[in-house]
This record gives sequence, C-alpha cells and structure tokens, in this order.
Amino acid sequence: MAPLPQVLQRRFLCQKTHTTNKWKTVKQVTKSNFADTLSDLKTHIAESDFIAVSLQRTGAVSAPWHRVLPFDTPDTAYSKSRHAADRFQLLQFAVCPFSITSASKLRAHPYNFHLFPRDELKIGMPSYSFSCQTSYLTTMAKEGFDFNACIYDGISYLSRAQESAARVRIGNPTPIPHVVKSSSKPSVADAVFIERIKSRVKYWRNACKDTSSKTDEALVRSLRKLVLGSEEHGSRPCINIDVCSERQVQLVLEMLEDFSDDLVPLIIPGKGGATQEVRVILTSSKEDKVLFQKELQNIEEEQNKKVRGFREVIDLISASQKPVVSHNSLNDFTFIHSKFLAPLPPNFDEFMCTLRLVFPHVLDIQQLMKEIGPLRKVSNIPTAISYLKDHFFAPIDMEILHEDTVNEGKIHGHNVLSISHLFAKLCSILKIAPIQSDNKNLVPALEKYANILTPCSLSPQESTDEDIRVWTNNTRKVNCEHLAFLWGFKRGMTAGMLKSLLQGSHDVFSKEFDVRLVDKSCAIVVFWKPGLSETFMDLINSKEICGSLGEMVLEGLRAARYGTYKKVCRLGILEADLARSLDKALEEPDCLWQGDSETNPLEVYWYSDSIINFDDL
Amino acid sequence: MKRLYPITLSRALSRALSSSSSTSSSAQSTAFPLKHVTKGNFESALAELRRHVAAADFVAIDLEMSGVTSAPWRESFEFDRSDVRYLKVKDSAEKFAVVQFGVCPFRWDSSKLSFIAHPHNFYVFPRQEVPIDGPSYEFLWQTTSIEFLAKYQFDFNACIREGISYLSRGQEEEALRRLSMAYEDELSDTWCNLKEVRDIPINRMADVLFSERVKNTFSEWRDGLLRDRNGGSQLQLNSNDSKQQFQTVFFKMRPALSLAGFTSHQFRLIQMVINKHFKDLSFVRANGDDLCSQHLVVYTESKDDRGMLMKEVKDENCRVAEMKIQAAIGFRHVIDLLSAEKKLIVGHNCFLDIAHVYSKFVGPLPSAAEEFVSSVNKYFPHIVDTKILLNANHVLQQRMKKSSTSLSSAFALLCPQIAVSSKSTGLTFQQCVQVEVQVDDMRSSNWNSGAKHEAGYDAFMTGCIFVQACSYLGIDFKLHSPSENLAHNEKLCKHVNHLYLSWINGDIIDLSTGNKVAELFGTNYFKKKYLNILFENIVLIWGFPSKLKAREIRECVSKVFGPTSVTSVYHLDETAVFVQFSKPEFVSDFLLLKETLEKSDGPISVLHPLAKLLEGGNTHAGNYETYKEICSSPISKVLFANQAEAVGSKRKREAMEPKIAVESKEHSSFWEENAVNNSTKSSEKSKQGKVHNAKKDMLGGNYEIIDSLYAAEVNQIRTNNL
Repeated sequence: MAPLPQVLQRRFLCQKTHTTNKWKTVKQVTKSNFADTLSDLKTHIAESDFIAVSLQRTGAVSAPWHRVLPFDTPDTAYSKSRHAADRFQLLQFAVCPFSITSASKLRAHPYNFHLFPRDELKIGMPSYSFSCQTSYLTTMAKEGFDFNACIYDGISYLSRAQESAARVRIGNPTPIPHVVKSSSKPSVADAVFIERIKSRVKYWRNACKDTSSKTDEALVRSLRKLVLGSEEHGSRPCINIDVCSERQVQLVLEMLEDFSDDLVPLIIPGKGGATQEVRVILTSSKEDKVLFQKELQNIEEEQNKKVRGFREVIDLISASQKPVVSHNSLNDFTFIHSKFLAPLPPNFDEFMCTLRLVFPHVLDIQQLMKEIGPLRKVSNIPTAISYLKDHFFAPIDMEILHEDTVNEGKIHGHNVLSISHLFAKLCSILKIAPIQSDNKNLVPALEKYANILTPCSLSPQESTDEDIRVWTNNTRKVNCEHLAFLWGFKRGMTAGMLKSLLQGSHDVFSKEFDVRLVDKSCAIVVFWKPGLSETFMDLINSKEICGSLGEMVLEGLRAARYGTYKKVCRLGILEADLARSLDKALEEPDCLWQGDSETNPLEVYWYSDSIINFDDL
Repeated sequence: MKRLYPITLSRALSRALSSSSSTSSSAQSTAFPLKHVTKGNFESALAELRRHVAAADFVAIDLEMSGVTSAPWRESFEFDRSDVRYLKVKDSAEKFAVVQFGVCPFRWDSSKLSFIAHPHNFYVFPRQEVPIDGPSYEFLWQTTSIEFLAKYQFDFNACIREGISYLSRGQEEEALRRLSMAYEDELSDTWCNLKEVRDIPINRMADVLFSERVKNTFSEWRDGLLRDRNGGSQLQLNSNDSKQQFQTVFFKMRPALSLAGFTSHQFRLIQMVINKHFKDLSFVRANGDDLCSQHLVVYTESKDDRGMLMKEVKDENCRVAEMKIQAAIGFRHVIDLLSAEKKLIVGHNCFLDIAHVYSKFVGPLPSAAEEFVSSVNKYFPHIVDTKILLNANHVLQQRMKKSSTSLSSAFALLCPQIAVSSKSTGLTFQQCVQVEVQVDDMRSSNWNSGAKHEAGYDAFMTGCIFVQACSYLGIDFKLHSPSENLAHNEKLCKHVNHLYLSWINGDIIDLSTGNKVAELFGTNYFKKKYLNILFENIVLIWGFPSKLKAREIRECVSKVFGPTSVTSVYHLDETAVFVQFSKPEFVSDFLLLKETLEKSDGPISVLHPLAKLLEGGNTHAGNYETYKEICSSPISKVLFANQAEAVGSKRKREAMEPKIAVESKEHSSFWEENAVNNSTKSSEKSKQGKVHNAKKDMLGGNYEIIDSLYAAEVNQIRTNNL
C-alpha cells in the first residue's frame, strides 16, 4: 500500500518541474489546508491594495435572453442575476490580493478555494439542493476539474443569516460579554424574583464552597445535589436558573454581577431562539475564572470556524474594506450576497445598500474597459488582454508571491490572476496610479468606476460629456415607454423580415422605427417618434384593426409594453422563450408594486447594431 | 494529491480487503468488479447486453439519482393522498438526474440448476449533444444525496466526464422534426441563403481588402481550371500563405477548393463574394462523417449541375445530422431493448425509478397518475416490485418481521451466502436458489463486489431477492421452462405490476389497471396503524408566527370550533401545518372566518381566539386541493410558506376575491352570532365528546402530532436505504 502514493507523488513532482509557469502558482485550498491558509491570506490582504475575485458556478443562464441584455434596466438586470444566484452553486472561489507598485509592477497572491455546500452541522444548511447546467459541468470536466475532490474536500460555509439561524438551532451555551444595566426600575414581581434567585444561588454557592461536605458519603452527596439543583459544567459546579422572559435574564445577570465575582453566567437558548435558562458556573478562584473564560472563548472560536467555514474569507475581505475588483460584478456579487451574506432582497436598491455596507468599493473591470472604445463589447478577459497587448504599450511585470508553492499541477482559478493583470494594464493605459494612500478611501481617479454593477446602467457618472462621446457612436438612449415587445410571429423570421412586414402593415409604422430580435420567439420594437408606441399598443389591443397588421394579429401576433417585461423579471417568470414568459406575465393579475417602478430610471440604451449577436450564444 | 484516484484506490483496497477476509472465512466469496459501462465501452457493452437480455428470464434494475426531494416538504408523508404522492414523485423525476443505472439480466441455467446474473453498471450523464429547442439541460443536486453517494465512494468524475448521454423518445422526435424543418427551409431557399448574406454590409477596410483578395484567388483558380481543361498548365496559387488556406480537392466528382483557417466572419464574406461574382462556383458547407464541418468552394458546370450539387450536399448533411441524433440516443438503447424484449422487469420499491425511466427516456410525465400508469404499462408490460413480494407472503414476512424490508437488509437475510455483511450464521435461512455471476469471462457462484449502493450491484441484489422470494412463493425453477414467461406464472402473476405508490401509507397501484390495490396479506404484520385521514376535512395553514407549536394551533382552533372539532394537527414543515377537522364543513367555515377576520380591523379581530394564529398578517390557509395545486407547481422553495407564496399569489387573488366581495358584509355580522352559537354548541358537544374522545385517545393514533423534523429524518433514512 505504501509504495503507490510515493510513485504518484514522484510523478507529480516530475510534472511540476516540466510544466511550471506562472499560471500554476495559484494556491489551491481545500478543507485540509484551509485553516493554515487563512492566516497567510489575512496578512496578504493587509499588505495589498486591491482584492480580485472570480467565481466558478454550476450554471449561469438557462436561455439566451436570461443574460443581462443592453435594454435591461438595473432592476431587470438584477432580477435576472438574482434568479441565477438563487438556483446555482459556487464550486470555486478564487481570491487574489494584489498591489500595483509604481513601476508597473504587479504583486499578486492568488488563492483558489474549493467549495462544497456540505451540511456540516446536519441542519439542512447551507443549501438543501442546487441546480446544475450540464454544459457547465461538461466544460469544467474538460478543463480537468476534479469533482470528486470538490465533493470530498471542498470547504463548506454558512452565510451570515444562516449562521444566526444555526446558533439558535444548535443551542450552544453562549457567554455574556458584559452586562448593561437597564434603566427601568424593577417592579414588585421583579424584586421578588431577584430575591428568590439570590437566596438560591447564595445557598448553592455556600454549599459548594463548604469543604466539610466533601467527606459525606455518596448517598448524602447525591441527595444534596438533588436538593440544591446543582449540576456540573465540565469539572466545575453549576446551577441552572429557569427564566420566563428576556427581562428576567437581564435581572439574573445584574444580580450575579453584584453578587460575587467567582460566578460566570452562560445563556442556554431554547428551541425558539429565546433564552431558556441561565447557567451559573462557580469558579474556584480569580485565576480559575480567567482560565474558564478563555476556555469558553476557545470553544466559541472553534465552533465559529466550523460554522462559518469559507465565509471567514469573505469576512476578512469585508473587514479590510479594500476595493474588490471583479470582471462580471453583478453576477459575482449576487452570488456572494446570496451564499455568504443573506437571501437576496427583492430589488436592486436594497441589494446595493446591503452590499455597500459589506464591500464599500466594488470595481468592475468592464467599467474601465468601456474607456477604451473597441473593448466596449469584449466580454472575455484573454481577448481584452491580447487586444491591449497589440494596441498599447503597457508591460506589466507580474510577481506572484507564495512562500510555499505546494501545487498539485492544477491550473484552476487562474482567472483571478488575469483579472488583476488586466486591471493593472488598464490602470497603466488610463494613467491611473492605483496606489492606495489609506484603506478607507479609493484613489480619486478610480472613484467614478466604483460600485457600478450593471453593465449598461445609467449611473450619474455616465451622463458626463466624456462618456456620452464614447457611447454615441452606436448607441442611442431611448425611453422605455417607446419600446414594445412583439411575439407570435412565424418562427425563423429575421429582424429585417419582420421590419419589412411591419412597415407596410399600418400607419403607425410609417415613421421611423427599429426592430431587433431578443430571442427566436420575440422581438423588441422601438418607436423613435414619441407617442407612437401608445398608439400601437392601443391599436393592437382594440378589436377593429384591419389591414395586414390585423391579419398578423389574427395569426397570433401579440404585443406588450416594457412594463410587462419588467414584471416578467421581477416575478422571475424566466421561461426558455421570452414569448412564453410574456404570455404568462399578461395572465397574471396586475400587481401591487406598480408604484415603485415609476421612480426607476426609465431610459435604456438602444444599440444600432444587432442587440444579440447570435454568434456569442 | 492522494485524492487523485480516490475511488479506484479505495475501491481496490476495499475489494482486496473484503476478498482476503472472505477467503479466510469459509464463505469463499470471490470479488471482481462488476461491469462498469461508460462512453468508451458503451457500444460493445450494449451488443453484449442485447444477447444477455434476449436470453434472460428477467432483468433487475436499480437507479442512483442526483437527489430525491427538491424541498423538505416534498418528502413523502402519511397525509399524502395518492394523487399528491404522484405529483411528488413526478416533481422528483423531473428535477433530478439519473447518474447511475444498474441493469442485471438473470438467466436460469437448467444444466447447472442455478441462475446466471450479468450485473452492469452504467454511468449516465445528460449531456446536450444535439441542438434541441428549449432551455439548456439543467438538473438539481440534493446536497444530502451527494454526500450519501460520496459516502459510498461514487465516482463523480467518471459520471460527468465519461457518463453516457441519452435522448428521450420525445427529444429524438423533436430533434428530427427540427432537422427536417431546417432541411425544408434550406431547400425552399433558392441556392444559398442569399438574404441572410446580404445582411452584412462591407464597411470595414479589412473586409473590403479581404473580399477583393479572395475574389482574385477564386477567379484565378477558376480560370486555371478552365485553362487546365483546355490543356493548360497546373494552377499555381501565388503565395505560400494561401496554399495552406486553399487546397484543390475533388468534391462529389467536381473540382473544389477546400477552405481552412478562416473565421466565421470571413466565411460569410467568402460566401457573399461567391454569390455575387461567380455564377459557376458555389460555397458549400459539408458535414463529414467525423462530425466536423468542411468549407468548400466547388466548381459546377451549369445551373442544373449546381442545383444537383446543392441537393447532394444537403442530403448528405441531413444524413450526418440524423446519424448524430442516432448516436445521441445513447443510453436509451438499453431502455428500448428492455421494452422491446418485453422481459419481466424487477425493481425494489421502484415506482420512483420507473417514473425516472419514463421522464428521461420516454417523454414528459403526464399530470395524472392514471395516465402515467397506462403509458408505462404499454412500455413495460411486466414489472415486479420485490418490496411488494416481501410484504405479501406470510412465510417471507415471518422471516422479515424483525428487520426492515430495505434492499440491503432483505439481501442479507435472504441471500446470506452472497451477502458478506451477514456473518451471523445463526439465521438458518437457507438460500434455496443458486445464483452465479458472470462478468465478461469471470464467473463466480459466491460473488460480492463489496460495492453497496452502486446501481449495478443493487440491481444484482434486487434480482437475488426476487429469486429467493419466488422460491418462497412456491415457484420451482427446475420445472420452469425457458420458453415460459415468468410474469405469467400463476403464483407470481397476482403480484405483477403492483407497485408501492407510497410506502409510508401502504398505497399500492396496479400498473395494468391504474387502480389502487389493498395490500394482500399480512397487513397485521407490517402495517402499523395507518392514520385514518379524511382529506376533505383538512385545512392547510401556513405562514403563521414561527413560535406557534402544533399544540397551540390546536388550542387556538379548538377555542372557536369546539374542543372536539380538531382531530389532529400535522406539521408539514416549520412554516405549515395540516389541521384535520372532525367534519368537512369546518374547513369552509374556517376559511371564511379567517377571511372575515382579516377584513375587519376592529377589536373583535384582535381579541378573537384565532388572532394568535393570524398574528403577523402572513397567515394563509387553504383546503387540501390548495395543497395539491401547490405540489403540482414546478417551483420548489425550501420552506412551504415561501413556496405557497410563490405559487399561490395568483390563485388567491383570482379565487377568493369575488366570493368575499359578495359575502363579506353579511358575514361580518354573521360571525359574531356564530361565535356565540359555536361556543354554546361546542360546550354541549364537549360533554358528549369527552367520553367519545377518551375512548379514541385510548385507542391511540388519533391525536398524533407528528414532529416534522422527526418524520423527515425517518424518511431520509428510508429513502437512503432503498
């Protein structure tokens, strides 16, 4: 049995020496080396200016139109991302703290964490089940992803919300940091309660301290125990005090504080989360008390590690308050929010609020890429890097620092290095000196790119002159009210065919309008002349439409306003075909949340070239 | 690093260990791995399996899935009516994937007086290999199921990388339909898709230059060809670069230029140049047999010739695409084989398995159990469930009564010679029928692969149990002629096609008739008191304050409808309960009362006994049909309250509002009287009720309050043991 691993090991070592290159120096972290890595990561985060993240999911979009499209508002884009984040799972989370020094030097510390939502505490968390897209798994398999390693050795985690729920479920005793005196005066009932408990504790404490009783025989001892209600917590004597309310807990704690300094109270939670009883533990001396409190602390830390798992990394990043760089930030951070913070809120604004509390500066690399015209529509990192390499002189000297390169020849998680590399290149080209002066604030030059998560969002920054110049060459702003969705036409029709059909069908289409296909089943129409979309909608919903438009309606043509599309996204009716989703949304009775949609920005961008490039799909 | 070959290593080790330990003991069981089938050896294994199945007397099957329930409340409970139970099975089969499929044909060898088993273990993975309209392939993993599989060292890499893909009959038809549609579209278009090509305007300088360059190359080549024919010299392409990109070949007996190393955009430009400038050249995309497409520019002599060429190419492409679809059928060939041979299929508690087989390999599951059952019966005319057999026979039941009828414990008990785990020879339960195992060339009469919960081995165990159970039923295989179908054996046929729809409440469904069947014998042995559940008396309440316990809810409701009004309260999960009333009228009364209380905002609604239940304003209620409707939804939220919210928002508004609008006025005054009436009535009733009630209590079972977590746990164990 022994020789076999050795042979394997030797083979690995050979491989490593042959194929070592900088991409392979991403430190792979699993359950076994997680605890050790954590402290390294902590120092690396402290030393670095930025943290790049990149995630490996089990799926993204079930149908082409589910991805964020140019005509999505932040809310609809968020709803789409949320839909994916709720269903799919993360299997890898790559983190790379990095700094860019003055001489275009990139110092990076890449880590790749393997995750698996194992139910460590047997409480049905972090995830009861999750969805997988077979195409994703197949691609991962082709890249050599080891699913066995992931499932057997992946690190589990609990989100912050799950952690608090879990604490209640586990029901471990929790120590109290310090008692804050309540200001309210005790009532008569309270006073009676305190006196009763006080005398009980006093009697018990005296009995415990009484050394003479040690010589009693077993029967007497156990009888005494029974009468006093004394139990043992570890090796120390303790007594449990039943309480009926949080008020009584407060009273007991206050009383104990004044009573004696060799008592340590613990709170025992009940099943519903409220305190069930207060356990009072008698320590033998001041030193013993300190010792005991330390013990409690260790136990708690141990417990925390088990409960939080990988989330410690998220907490470390959050605590550092350093800017987080990501490539597809809306998708990444909806996942991070739903897996490590709390279930995703219903709308984008709430999401941004909670997210900013945890990660104050999120930098989406695509926002920087927008500054360089041709990169506007590049969504793939290697392409972007090679474009920059060909067109700009911005050499980046990458230095990857790992004291112990215990690598196993795996090449996972290198995406995070590409992100930091691309970020450094972009900063150098855009003449931004990304050197953090202090931890709290972002470099002013980067500020205008921060916290824009939606690729096509209308943040205030974009309305500056500069940005419009970049965008106007092929996009036009258009108000959502001028858009209409059309479906129910013959399958296989192209946008051009549909446009020419519509053109002659009715007067509404005599003025300038454009048609694009969203997917095979549905098209979006923009009426450039204000008011015509209303006319069109009224027309199509009225009974007397004649001409060829009438015929098309008879053949099944349907139309809806942008609001219906919003409803589709908000309610998560994400069918394979947009047409079917819109049909379903129209069947749903109108909802109560009409109000909030009015306040949202109603303008989206219209691309003059085809909306979805089917080659990408 | 040591994780690289976790399965193979550990399996090999465990096998080595088990074989060494068993050889030292007198059991003499030999261990060689069962036949693992993946993409690589599927073709050959299938050919072999065809032979084995054709010769077999019956075929045992077993499935390993990626999960069982998509939410805790979708687990099987005692208060599931059979139609609800079917909906839960349907949900499971639709959402989860089959990751391993065990097939084990058994053949009676009259010369050796033993059965010969051929256990096969297929790794299955639903890869999308041909384009089909609709959403991308997705399936759920249940974390506990993955952990369960991992515990038994399931090889996830083998499954995902090497698993055999499949198309259901429905998917195959869809793919063929799509193909023929594309074919017709292409034919109806004159020549190539001119319109589509015109769509790209040439406005980039690079495009203009490229078009000009290829135009020159093509005209040179064509001119060269024509010269050549007139006795001219060989064509010389001008640069080295283009030699690699353009290569003169023959395509369908015509001279052609094979194009390589262009982007798809460049191909489109080439196509446009050809269509625009060359009447005698055609751009062709041919899909070769090796599944990679080839781009060519072909010289044609005339318009007719060109037409012929295009038709040839299209037919060829169509044929290749059809072959691709044929190849994508993959694992379904095994299922088709089982169906075509009409062999007796043997499974263990296999209703869910059959539902999986249907949804993966036949088509979408029908919405009602009856429809499902009749389709299954057409596809597999004879199915036997060993769990039914074990519970149907007195002798067997006496043997089994101390242990569960789970697969592994039944195997250990009925086939002690094979099962290593049952070391206790104290059980004098003789194995009556010999089973020999053959894998490829290896044979053994005491085989044990040591790999429990591997589909192939589980199928083998199921078959062994079936064989032993048959002999207890009095079937003598020595008298059994190979021509006779085992399913028609008079001792067996009353059990054929009986499946447990729900094991928990003993619902059995007959696949050939679609009727529910009462358990044959021995209900007294196994059947504990199944609760007497009256579905029309049930009201479902969800979204109530989380601190409320079943007991408190019961008190709450009893205060209004009288102390005997509530017969039982079951927790569905922490957010929902079933309350069973003593009378069906109480259900509608309760729903109306709740609606009224929510409408009125006065002190009455605050002081009302139900206020405790309605606190928080999120409490909803519905009858049993509501529950069924919520179960039928494709959505699966973990908590029932969230599920109901996601599903029910529409229904509630539609169904409730018109009714309430009419009734609410009279009702708000009505309920006050009613409350008074009710209290007096109930006090009267309670007097009579108490005696009656006490009796019922003593009989037990009627006041049971099931802790949902406990129930779920039991269920988990149950499903794991299957």
